[in-house]
Amino acid sequence: MSIRVQDLVYRYQDFELRVPALEFPSAALTTIVGPNGAGKTTFLKCLSGILPSPRGSVFVEGQDLATLPEAARARRLAYVPQEHSSAFNYAIIDFVLMGRTAYVPLFSTPSDDDTAAALEALDYVGLARYAGRAYSQLSSGERRLVLIARALAQNSDILVLDEPTTFLDPKHETGLMELVRKLAVEKKKTVLMTLHNLDMAVKYSDVLVFLKEGRVVSAGRPDETLSEELLERVYDIPMCILEHAGRKFIVK
Amino acid sequence: MTRKQRVLCGLIVVFPFAAFVVSLFIGSWHIPAKDIVKTLLSPVFPSLASGFPDPEGYINIVFSVRLPRLILAMTVGASLSVSGAALQALFKNPLVNEFILGISSGAAFGASLSLVFLGAAFPPQVAAFAFAVVAVLLVLSISRKSDSPIISLLLTGVITSAFFSALLSLVEYFASPYALQALFNWLMGNMTWPGWNELALALPLMGIGIAVLISMRWRLNVLSMSDEEARALGVNLRRDKLLVIVMATLMTAAATSVAGIIGWVGLLVPHLVRMMVGVDNRRVIPLSAALGAGYLVLADDLARSLASFELPVGIFTSLIGIPFFIVLLRKSKKVWL
Repeated sequence: MSIRVQDLVYRYQDFELRVPALEFPSAALTTIVGPNGAGKTTFLKCLSGILPSPRGSVFVEGQDLATLPEAARARRLAYVPQEHSSAFNYAIIDFVLMGRTAYVPLFSTPSDDDTAAALEALDYVGLARYAGRAYSQLSSGERRLVLIARALAQNSDILVLDEPTTFLDPKHETGLMELVRKLAVEKKKTVLMTLHNLDMAVKYSDVLVFLKEGRVVSAGRPDETLSEELLERVYDIPMCILEHAGRKFIVK
Repeated sequence: MTRKQRVLCGLIVVFPFAAFVVSLFIGSWHIPAKDIVKTLLSPVFPSLASGFPDPEGYINIVFSVRLPRLILAMTVGASLSVSGAALQALFKNPLVNEFILGISSGAAFGASLSLVFLGAAFPPQVAAFAFAVVAVLLVLSISRKSDSPIISLLLTGVITSAFFSALLSLVEYFASPYALQALFNWLMGNMTWPGWNELALALPLMGIGIAVLISMRWRLNVLSMSDEEARALGVNLRRDKLLVIVMATLMTAAATSVAGIIGWVGLLVPHLVRMMVGVDNRRVIPLSAALGAGYLVLADDLARSLASFELPVGIFTSLIGIPFFIVLLRKSKKVWL
């Protein structure tokens, strides 16, 4: 499912996010990059309908997301937050099962099919063996995977991830990026994410969106859009792009 | 769920029924066990009651005193526990209880107005219920414009409670000694059956509240996530939160209006359940209803059998609840939250 953003404006105190027009391709991985405070997370939350009533529209296959009831929206788009904390330490399977909220009526409990969908999602991220464990018993890398499994249980075509690799070691970071890439290629999901690691963003993304001070500076395929001038304009420090074995590396 | 948790679930389900049966035999007037059974069966087999020394008296004690009192204690215990568990999930804070939204202090002030100034024309149950609802409306209307609704709600609850407590003190200051005694008796909680008319509003409200929150038990898991997460998962936050708050308010206000202020049930019971069977509200909510019902029945048994006169049950729920809670917290090595 492709996503089209039109005249999106969100203001919070002195900050303003303004995206006149932008399109995210279907079944591809789009990464939003930019310095701290650029508005990456705000942009994702506006896209996902989590922030209350921004101006403008987000169209999914031509339909304005804001006109959809919450459950219908959640069946189309799943959002993975940067982190999760809860006063209650749920078992992993119960946690992933919450991804089925949009399919379970208000006065009901999940069916066997919902449990099967949650287990399948947990299996996809490789954590089925931990189904009965408590969330607090997992490492931070495993917790990220559980959050992704919960989003997969939503069975939506669009997946939005907010900095999923923060605080992960290189092994877990790579594993998670491979998984996200697989979701776009294998499951044909339209994946939108924010990242700080530019090397990872360049390696895995189909499209890069550079954001600075609430404005899109550049958007396009990494090999078309990436340049040292652009990086300096966005991050305000000089950066070099080196090529090795067909891959681009960014040196600060 | 582990085998141990399944066994504990079974025990909690059986507990209120066992407490109910045992409590039928407890009271200031001694009736032999076999006569209680005969009395219970007498509406179907009238000949069974003919051998009693005082047939009318036994029937009266069982059907007009003990049975209604047990029904009241079970419903109030279940209501306070379910509303406590639901509010704890909704506010993502296991320390939230019915006092936090100003319900108890509003109800106490309402009852005091009725008992001290209005007399029989305005029953304390109705006044308590009305002011409990006023207190919650006040809390909700003040806190709704805040950026941080939960902290604001909890703070406003504390402020509103303090406000109504001050008003209660003012009423107590002007009360006559007789009215003051009646007021203290009400404030400390008791399960004396107030009569069907006084319960016409409270019992259905408690029943509806318990039923609605039990049927929303899984949704409460989702509502215990952050607001952003719950919204992203497809929850209509405004509708679902309002429904839980309205139900919890109505059932707690109804329970407080007929039984007075009974502390610690809404905090202790859900905690006990979580310690025993985990945090999943699919189990916590219905099992809190069962454990709360049985717990208040047993507390009431103590209140009416420890002395030759009846003691307020609210004192017992606190006297039992607080040390029990401390012991459990110290003994529990397992993380249940």
